[in-house]
Amino acid sequence: MDKLIIRGGQRLSGKVKVSGSKNAAVAVLPAVVLSQDKLTLHNLPDITDVHTMVSILEDLGVPIRRRGANSIEFRPSMLRGYTPPYDLVKKMRASYYLMGSLLARYGRAEVPIPGGCDLGPRPIDQHLKGFAAMGANIEIERGLISLSANRLRGAHIYLDVVSVGATVNLMLAAVMAEGKTVLENVAKEPEIVDLANFLNAMGASIKGAGTDVIRITGVSELGGAEHVVIPDRIEAGTFMLAAAITGGDVVIDEVIPKHLEAVLAKLREVGVDVEVEPERIRVRGMGELEPVDLKTFPYPGFPTDLQPLMMVLLTAARGTSVITENVFDGRFRHVDELKRMGARIKVEGRTAIIEGGEPLSGAPVTATDLRAGAALMLAGLAAQGETVLSDVEHIYRGYDHLEEKLAGLGGLIRRERRDHYRARSRKPV
Amino acid sequence: MEEQHDKTVMFRVEAEETENKARKVLLSVYQALKEKGYNPLNQLVGYLLSGDPAYITNHRNARSLIRQVERDELLEELVGSYLQRTEQEGREEADN
Repeated sequence: MDKLIIRGGQRLSGKVKVSGSKNAAVAVLPAVVLSQDKLTLHNLPDITDVHTMVSILEDLGVPIRRRGANSIEFRPSMLRGYTPPYDLVKKMRASYYLMGSLLARYGRAEVPIPGGCDLGPRPIDQHLKGFAAMGANIEIERGLISLSANRLRGAHIYLDVVSVGATVNLMLAAVMAEGKTVLENVAKEPEIVDLANFLNAMGASIKGAGTDVIRITGVSELGGAEHVVIPDRIEAGTFMLAAAITGGDVVIDEVIPKHLEAVLAKLREVGVDVEVEPERIRVRGMGELEPVDLKTFPYPGFPTDLQPLMMVLLTAARGTSVITENVFDGRFRHVDELKRMGARIKVEGRTAIIEGGEPLSGAPVTATDLRAGAALMLAGLAAQGETVLSDVEHIYRGYDHLEEKLAGLGGLIRRERRDHYRARSRKPV
Repeated sequence: MEEQHDKTVMFRVEAEETENKARKVLLSVYQALKEKGYNPLNQLVGYLLSGDPAYITNHRNARSLIRQVERDELLEELVGSYLQRTEQEGREEADN
């Protein structure tokens, strides 16, 4: 895997444009198979998860045409099959959204159990419970989930735990089911609203997305539509934290500030100066940082995806901060890497105690997952000396040209490709 | 005695301004949603219920426009306008 060489100590400054949301893009792309008419998606981020999902759609027989850097036109007619290939599915968790969309469109789906970041157990029982309530037969054998139904029928489904994945999958399944579906205790994330917008533009009848109850009246077919994916709130939060960590002054452009209220509140609490305009946020890291306590929660709470990055900021706050991770079990894998850089962090179960105030120092570290990788990049920018970050492919799964964007703000980051190491280590014959 | 007009006078136009602004914002956002092929009623109801600006397209700057008026002010305009019209229709029916 490639490496990033980061030289710390530069204050970031300037303006950066936020790309389309990863989590919204990977939810709307599987919806493409629900129609037979032309669909156009704009503002798709240039990330490997999107490339993978588009490859899966092509493999299933969906003709695509690229319209510029971030737009794709789809003309889905009849698909070649309903089994996405294992070698692509294993690369990304969101490929399991094809269960809902293929089942809705073809009454059949065979999807390998998906991959993605290792963040502890992320069961799919809520998805399967919902499919079963809508009348689907489910078999799991040798790593393959097989779903079938003559015609899905609307159902009243209460999710035992709030799950973005289950909410998306059940919305996709219900849009063409017979009758009315009521989904209760659902996720309220903006990405759910974005999916509802796309499906409604295709002719679906979805009400209540963004609240904890979604009501869907099934329609017999869906048509063509054009849709612009919402800005990535996690990427925006990453730049906000990058500005704060480096004591910089950065304007984050093309963002929906409402989606970042929890992050804005915590940054203000820490002592970072933030100015909010309708579509941009300016962050200035000034003076001493205050330690804070933080708990992650589903939206609109503080996002778990930004927890590792917030932890990096809190290593610079003089005093003790406490982070409680309530969403994923395995989301402290970045802690050992931060310790290599001199951070003083103790983990007890779901809680991390950060003794901040000492500057980080550059070290060789490894990206264990997507957001951990981004956190270590930011740690490298704040640290004294050089940080060598390995396994950076995780970062490209979800960030659109992050290193170039950070470099554009003055960060000293250089990518060393794998071929380069091979060339360097090859002995002369 | 002639009235003095050489001093600053304060007028209470705030409520009317808010009402006009809410109306203008709603109409502009409605137009933008329609132009982009969304169902404006569906999208506006979704926004009013959830508060999520993702319901509103960025076309014609509609997303930042809708954030200029609080949701309760938009609702006041909608409910107020509906009740006013219903009352007027009721009076016209009674007159006939």
